[in-house]
Amino acid sequence: MEYYQGPMIQTTAFEYRPAEEEAEKASNSYLISLVASVAGLPLPIVNLLATLFFYLGNKKGTYFVRWHCTQALLAQFSLLFMNSAGFWWTLSIIFGNQQLSNAYVSYMLTVIIFNLLEFLATIYTSIQTRKGKHVVWWFYGELANKLCKR
Amino acid sequence: MTTRISLQFIFIVLMFFGCWTILRQIDWMQQFSLNQLSAKSEKRLGDLYAKYFINTQMELNDPEIYAPVDSLLQTICSTNGINADHIKLHILENSQVNAFALPDGHMIVYSGLIAATKSEAELSGIIAHEVAHISERHVMEKLRRELGLTVLLSMTTGNGSETIRNTAKVFTSSAYDRDLEREADQKAIDYLIHARVPSEPMADFLERLAEKENPSMRHLEWINTHPDTRKRVEFIRNYSKGKNQAPRPILKEVTWLKLQKRLASL
Repeated sequence: MEYYQGPMIQTTAFEYRPAEEEAEKASNSYLISLVASVAGLPLPIVNLLATLFFYLGNKKGTYFVRWHCTQALLAQFSLLFMNSAGFWWTLSIIFGNQQLSNAYVSYMLTVIIFNLLEFLATIYTSIQTRKGKHVVWWFYGELANKLCKR
Repeated sequence: MTTRISLQFIFIVLMFFGCWTILRQIDWMQQFSLNQLSAKSEKRLGDLYAKYFINTQMELNDPEIYAPVDSLLQTICSTNGINADHIKLHILENSQVNAFALPDGHMIVYSGLIAATKSEAELSGIIAHEVAHISERHVMEKLRRELGLTVLLSMTTGNGSETIRNTAKVFTSSAYDRDLEREADQKAIDYLIHARVPSEPMADFLERLAEKENPSMRHLEWINTHPDTRKRVEFIRNYSKGKNQAPRPILKEVTWLKLQKRLASL
């Protein structure tokens, strides 16, 4: 089997071959964040909550499922901070006394770029994990390794 | 492993702020013409509000009334480096003691306010205060705070006449917040000093209105919309202490008297 080895995403062999049902659940953990982020726009918390509930629901699942739920949750969690700042900044421009500025526009563009990268990575990972492949993200994968016990 | 995770985290944070910093080098406001857009919106809003007030009350273009008030405005502007062409003065026949600034430099002064002033210095003080709101761009900030950007955008893009009617009282019966009022008072005193108009009469005028103020005198709108009047009077007196130069009258005595006489005949 050939694995994709990118700078930020690596597809590696998992320590056991996940069953069909495990692959489906692991894939859904990514899928749910995508669906929730589209449904919950512009609120930045909805996708995190959806992923968190999915994570809690699979807390007693197999190692493969828990590992991918953790990676998905961590990715959503880090987006929450940058998205929340953008959300409140936007609200203070609309309803408060903040002015539209160059700093705001460039911040929102940065947030869009990071969200887009995460969105693409999530789609890719969802497809691959559905096939039973183990996709490890840079930083988040290592953190999931540390947090997720066998 | 923990060190590697920490380093990776720091790298991600640096990447985020690096990306933001690089993007900030581009002038997005210019690229997307956002400044132009807000200037156009302000112009449209100013025209809509001015039209509303002029259509609902009679505009006084009589030279005996308009010219002296305009002279005061022109002097305040020219001695303070303010482009007077940007300020469009409208004097409306209304017994209320009120004056207010609208978006895009429109200034409304009610005849009731002019009649209530006892000297050109008192009237200059009020005009200078409204000029300060315009030059310091308080008007759009107030509108944004009171109505929100969404309402403003709907007014500038769609048919905003209904909203204009419902929101016009933002100008006539509500104040700017305390900081903006204080800033406008301070600027007004500076303008008066540069124009060599004594600032004390501005405080006298406010004090006189505050003394008269009681529930039965609701027509004194200008004072009602500017809270903490006594504190303002105190501030104006303290701030202008020792700064006033020898006064230089703007209008001839006879012109002022004619103005008052003409207003009394309305």
